[in-house]
Amino acid sequence: MKKRTAKITALMLASMMALAGCGGNGGGSNSGSNSGSGDSAKAEALTDLYTWETQAREVESLNVLNTQMATDLNVLTNLVEGLLSNDKDGKLIPALAEEWGSDDNGLTWTFKLREGVKWVDKNGEEKADCNAQDFLTGLEFILNYHKNGGANISMPGEMIVGAQEYYEYTKTLTEEDGRNLTTDAGSKFLEMVGIEAPDDYTVVYHCTSEMPYFETVATYNCLYPASQALIDEIGIDAFVACDDSNMWFNGAYLLTNYIQGNEKVLTKNESYWDTESQRFDTVTIKMIESLDTGFQLYQAGDLDRIDLSESNLTTIYNDENNEYNDQLVEKRPDKFSYQMHFNYSKMNEDGTPDENWNKAIANTAFRQAIYYGLNLKPYLARTNAINPLSCENNAYTMMGLVYMSDGRDYIDVVEEKLGLGESDGETPRRVDADKAAELKAQAMEELSAQGVTFPVEADYYIAANNQTSIDSAKVLQQAFSDCLGDDFIKLNIGTYVTNGTAEVIDPQLHSFVVNGWGADYGDPQNFLGQETYGEDSAYYSMNYSNINDATDETLINTYKEFTDLVNTAKAITDDNDARYEAYAEAESYMIENALVIPCNYNISWQLTHVNDYTVKNAPYGIQNYKYVGWETSVDAYTTEQYQSFASGSGNGASAAE
Amino acid sequence: MADEKQLNEDELFTFVEYSPEAAERTGYSEYSYWKSVFKNFLKKKTAVALTIVFLALVIFSFIALAIGKYDVNALRSDTSNAFIRPNGEYWFGTDNLGQDYWCQVWYAAQISIKLALIVALGECVVGITIGCIWGYVRKLDRLFTEIYNIINNIPTILYMMLIALLVGQNFTVMACSLIAFGWLTMARNVRNLVLMYRDREYNLASRCLGTPIWRVLLKNILPYLISVIILRLALSIPSTIALESTLSYLGLGLDVTTPSLGILLRNARTSFLSYPYLLIFPAVIVSLITVTFYLIGNAFSDAADPRNHV
Amino acid sequence: MVKYTIKRLLQSLVTVLIVVTIVFLLMRMLPIENFFTEDQLIKYTEVQKHDALEKAGMLDSMPKQLVRYYGQLLHGDLGESRRIQSGQPVIAVIGQRFTVSMRIGVISLGISLVLGITLGILQTRHKDRLMDHIGTAYTIFVNAVPPLVSYSLILILGALVLGIPATYSTRNPGPSSILPIVCLSLASIAGYALWTRRYMVDEINKDYIKLARVKGMSTKSIMVKHVLRNAFVPLAQYLPASFLLTIGGSLLVERFFSVPGMGPLLTDAIGKFDTNVVQALVILYAVLGILGVFLGDVLMMLIDPRITLTDKGGTR
Repeated sequence: MKKRTAKITALMLASMMALAGCGGNGGGSNSGSNSGSGDSAKAEALTDLYTWETQAREVESLNVLNTQMATDLNVLTNLVEGLLSNDKDGKLIPALAEEWGSDDNGLTWTFKLREGVKWVDKNGEEKADCNAQDFLTGLEFILNYHKNGGANISMPGEMIVGAQEYYEYTKTLTEEDGRNLTTDAGSKFLEMVGIEAPDDYTVVYHCTSEMPYFETVATYNCLYPASQALIDEIGIDAFVACDDSNMWFNGAYLLTNYIQGNEKVLTKNESYWDTESQRFDTVTIKMIESLDTGFQLYQAGDLDRIDLSESNLTTIYNDENNEYNDQLVEKRPDKFSYQMHFNYSKMNEDGTPDENWNKAIANTAFRQAIYYGLNLKPYLARTNAINPLSCENNAYTMMGLVYMSDGRDYIDVVEEKLGLGESDGETPRRVDADKAAELKAQAMEELSAQGVTFPVEADYYIAANNQTSIDSAKVLQQAFSDCLGDDFIKLNIGTYVTNGTAEVIDPQLHSFVVNGWGADYGDPQNFLGQETYGEDSAYYSMNYSNINDATDETLINTYKEFTDLVNTAKAITDDNDARYEAYAEAESYMIENALVIPCNYNISWQLTHVNDYTVKNAPYGIQNYKYVGWETSVDAYTTEQYQSFASGSGNGASAAE
Repeated sequence: MADEKQLNEDELFTFVEYSPEAAERTGYSEYSYWKSVFKNFLKKKTAVALTIVFLALVIFSFIALAIGKYDVNALRSDTSNAFIRPNGEYWFGTDNLGQDYWCQVWYAAQISIKLALIVALGECVVGITIGCIWGYVRKLDRLFTEIYNIINNIPTILYMMLIALLVGQNFTVMACSLIAFGWLTMARNVRNLVLMYRDREYNLASRCLGTPIWRVLLKNILPYLISVIILRLALSIPSTIALESTLSYLGLGLDVTTPSLGILLRNARTSFLSYPYLLIFPAVIVSLITVTFYLIGNAFSDAADPRNHV
Repeated sequence: MVKYTIKRLLQSLVTVLIVVTIVFLLMRMLPIENFFTEDQLIKYTEVQKHDALEKAGMLDSMPKQLVRYYGQLLHGDLGESRRIQSGQPVIAVIGQRFTVSMRIGVISLGISLVLGITLGILQTRHKDRLMDHIGTAYTIFVNAVPPLVSYSLILILGALVLGIPATYSTRNPGPSSILPIVCLSLASIAGYALWTRRYMVDEINKDYIKLARVKGMSTKSIMVKHVLRNAFVPLAQYLPASFLLTIGGSLLVERFFSVPGMGPLLTDAIGKFDTNVVQALVILYAVLGILGVFLGDVLMMLIDPRITLTDKGGTR
């Protein structure tokens, strides 16, 4: 019996193993590229890049015109090219447009296209020329309700003449009529929408008002081209749902292998226009379960870069003998500026207004006590355990968004107006315990008179399945208690199950939300315009702060004053310095009154074979993940090397000493 | 004394008063099923020892919280104290937020044991009742199979998500929903066994003699099932802990303020290579619970088999 | 028997229909905001939201939506994925995944059956001796250590120590399947061993085995002819279902090793409110599950002729 069983077992096992192998004749192992042995001065660059993305951030759509998801666009920016791109400092550089400009303060914009750009298929075979017609087709597709279903229309709808009207017009048509609309000469589209193609290599946009920043929108996918030949070939339905097998490429890479939840392989597009810049032969994006599995892959040599989780970072940092100890490098900030948005019209769970909170938060001294009192350093340490203060954020607008003509960053102007001192390297610059205590006493006196009970209960909500944000919330809770006192404000942590907006924001249950804003285009308006009073286009006012539902007169007047300041700045279109100066005025007014409290930047630590200071880095648009011009090294970069990169870069991410 | 010797023959034999105890003594052995089960169980030294260990664990979790230096409801997060290895101040070290691990582990152990026991009992009661009826009453087989199929084929995560969205997340909700979907396995197990034993000859005979269904089920069939039921029960305890941790991984577990062993283990996963103690303490407790119930379950189910009783 | 089969299968069709209807309704009980991503909820205007919902037919009345869906089903059309793979037919989304899951699942099922039952038999043969204790220790270990932890251990051991690929790769499916298969098998080997042992020990204590011993039958043939066969009956019930449901894959294992299979699909689809994918998966799993139970019953009947499913009258 025993013997026979054993024999059967062996047989079964053997056949199992055979079965395991038969799924495809596995090519050579694709492991590691960091075997490097050479320690020459000039390190050898990687020819193939292995990078990662977490599984929750899988691509959903490969139609660059249809999607607005950052996860999709991070891949698509490599596959399809638009008018303009950004360089490593966020400055605009040519892409498909060789030259561009406006002669009338940004009312009309002319883009001169590069000749000889080709659309190719998955195998790199040339399919068609990419010219001005493709930009007409692309915009028509976006603005046509029956083709794109309303995705991506917000920016062109707001900025291009007749775009919104054309969208409304297509909605009145039947599906068939809508789909038959074209961009031919004399078409309804050309008649209504402010775009024209005087010749095959020129595109002209007419803006709804003077928009000095419209050129930055040209990096965004809402102005991307679409090949009419491809649509004619596979039909609208297939085009909307296009995938790697039938889409056409004009970008730096082709998507040669795409297995959802597993990996994507991008292969160098031989007919890409930019033959000068460094590109990889292949880029493999592996989908990983978490940063921890990612770290194990990095150790095994299967990845060329990995962000470090809290525990991995602490371990490596505290252990001098750890093989990665001298390879810890600080990342550059991502493009989000995080803010604490108060809710001025908070509801209880039963739908009645939370009077206690609403009265308290409407009081300027109450808000300012939080602004000056709350030391976020422990909270910042959650993102950056080694240099917490490098994540310190004191402005509302993202750093590096726009520059004054003398090269100063716009946010430096804001900080100057706020009168922030030099950092002492210990506490965040705006923290002032004495002033906070004074304001706290004032707030308690004023509010008690209004019948507010202390401590004021504040509700803060986070995703139930995200341990990192639960931990961060606990740290924030502790910071509130330590800095402001349990007699003043009490932070309660709540959770939502799947969708914070649906479960918390819409019913207005939150006391505040900490949220990062990534710009759509390069102008402070894109940031400050989200907070104005009484304007439907202000996302944060409409959704998070609910300021339009507030009743406190003083608060509303403060908001109105701020809104006026923003609109004054918006009206200045002929002088960028004056424009930015005026915006900075509005921004500092908002922050001084603590209508919104700046929180942090996202700067974490990583191990990498990539020099991030050569990677495209714009605070707006979709160009940052384009694997073009990257400097890499077969040996991992060291902390020292990175420090020299950081000091060499114009606007360093303030690498702490 | 001498008088007695003079009894005549008639007096030698007299009628005894009827006494039920005396009657039992001769008619029946002293056999009692449950008594024998316990007697046999008590013979298994390891099982008894483990039962004691488990009880000690439960009692100690209360003591541990009382003698610990920190109160689980008033933990301070201070990242400068993060990842301190176990020492005199922090007996189980600190976690990534610099919070005392000792009180968290013991508090979580209480929660998890409570949840697991409640769910196991609930599953058992519901599962056995429905399983017996399902297996025995042919006419109801179709109905129950239908109900089973429907409940079983709608993804649990969908229910859990709806429950979390509509009802909320807390201990009671969690326990109820785990029971509501956990009884299925037990019921199906019982049903299959009942199906096997139902048509055995002795049951046929019982039915011919007019024994009511409940009696056939309770006296003829259930004893056969006890060993399997107990094993299933014992296994349901660790699986509840595991399921709870998977649900927490998906954000559908207990609420944030209620740490469970599953959640601690899930969190430790990310740091246990560098800080093994974060994994070891909760894992040891989970293992202890599992081992205990497995061995107790096995010993008890062996003891529950009447054939081992003589 | 044939009549019974047809009747039961027809009945199952009704069950599947009920199940999919319930799921259809449950999905629509979720707040409509789940239709959008958080980003869209914030950045879309009310008009855009309304347009998107209208285009997806989400604004129609529930009966109308339901009738439309039944109509689609009648034509064998499961619809298109909304967000998993935007615009792709659901069939294609499932089609490219299930083979991956099934291959890994079947291999692991085979391994666990063989190893599990063997272990169970060995444990029974050597009851209360070393072999039994080793098996028990293994079972306990596997059950005691939560899967997330044991997978991490396997990943570290396999990838960093043994150098086995740590993530699944379609270009190299043989070696890169090893770790996921090990993870999948680990628990089920223990499961099969545990139940085989339990049922066999129960069986060995029965009177007819004692009789067989007294008759002078060899232990070996008692084991094979009586004990194993009878102990296998309750196990057999689950076999077909386990086999069919390998298609479903495993959520945790597939997430962990980035296997592009079915495991995480349902959870993702629910999270992304991809109703067509959810409904298609529910139909698939319901059909497989019901078929599995039915085949299990049949298998059980084949092995143990005393068990009847059809109503022969007489008994009730």
